[in-house]
Amino acid sequence: MRQTEKNATAWSMVLVPLGIAAIMTPAIMLAASGSGQGFDSVVNSIESRYHAHATKIPFMWLVSGIAGVATHGGVRGLHVAEFDDFKGDGDGVDGAEFNALIEKHVGSGWQRMVRETTRKTAGGGGGEQSLIYVRAEGSHVGMLVVDLDGHELDVVQMSMNPDQLMHEVSKHRHHQDKPDDSGSPDGSDNSNGSDNKPAGESE
Amino acid sequence: MKRSGVWASLLALGFATGAAGIALGQDSLPAPSPIEKTLAERATHVTEVTLDKNMLAFASKFMDADKDDGGKEDKDDKAVKDMIRNLKGVYVREYEFDKEHSYTAEELEGLRKYFESADWSPMVHERTKGVAEGTDVFVKLVNGQMQGLFVLDAEAKELSLVLILGPLDIDKISKLGGNFGIPKDAVKKAQKEAGK
Repeated sequence: MRQTEKNATAWSMVLVPLGIAAIMTPAIMLAASGSGQGFDSVVNSIESRYHAHATKIPFMWLVSGIAGVATHGGVRGLHVAEFDDFKGDGDGVDGAEFNALIEKHVGSGWQRMVRETTRKTAGGGGGEQSLIYVRAEGSHVGMLVVDLDGHELDVVQMSMNPDQLMHEVSKHRHHQDKPDDSGSPDGSDNSNGSDNKPAGESE
Repeated sequence: MKRSGVWASLLALGFATGAAGIALGQDSLPAPSPIEKTLAERATHVTEVTLDKNMLAFASKFMDADKDDGGKEDKDDKAVKDMIRNLKGVYVREYEFDKEHSYTAEELEGLRKYFESADWSPMVHERTKGVAEGTDVFVKLVNGQMQGLFVLDAEAKELSLVLILGPLDIDKISKLGGNFGIPKDAVKKAQKEAGK
């Protein structure tokens, strides 16, 4: 009988730490992966603080993929969340508190580049908050925009390659400026050649 | 003897770290002053732009988009972009008020105080009699080269602060106006006064 009790105690000594480890591992891995920061964290924090629900665009991954292909990697990783009829605390949001909330949840690595605030006037106008954060992502630059305009709040995150994006812009501008006398029947230009690739672009 | 050598090394390391911190601190963007917070509370519209060296390098790449000449980069544009790439930081604060003179002379004095040091020289000191309005331009000169520019422009309903750190070419600073949130008038005024 005493032997059985001893065995049970020994098992409990092994099983309890194992159980704790099993419960804690996903939480630790989630924290380590950084998924608790950036776009999702910002959207979730707004939802929970202001009891609002974000509408996420369906098939955004597809849109993001198409954008990536269309811009030759100039833009990728698009995330969009919309809060329609956003009321904040009923009569808008406290700018300083809103800013602090985003600052807290955006996570490390993101730096605020722009903050623009328009206070709500007695006539009901204004009440605007725009925050732009950026972070380095190798050859890309991550950009997170939080824009509150009256009762509409949008959160957008994307990853851009400035060199590639400007290359695409100049290509289209060049195409528009060109007189319509090119020999190319489809109107396409050949500026996509490798000689026009921006310096340092490996994609 | 050995122990004192270790202590001396630690002390030297401490001094070196401190000196490096001070040197870095002089070129880093300042922490927002408490005055800015109170101004922001009173203002109806606030614009804050803070760009460090990395962000400037990134932002400068988009400057092509504003050009009207079909994207062709001339020597002048290239020089401006090079200047931007070498900048250490840009700090802009713009406050718009619904009432005239929503700030005090003491607040303006507080904002100027940071630049009343040996490194910074006042270049413009313009005042409107009887009201807390005026323009101040300070420049940071190191070995005869401009290494910083601070503009404080106080108008009846608007207050602008512009701080640009890093090597600057006075002939090209007006090109920075309208970019990175820098008000065109502020840098033009500084350039005009510097040219006198």
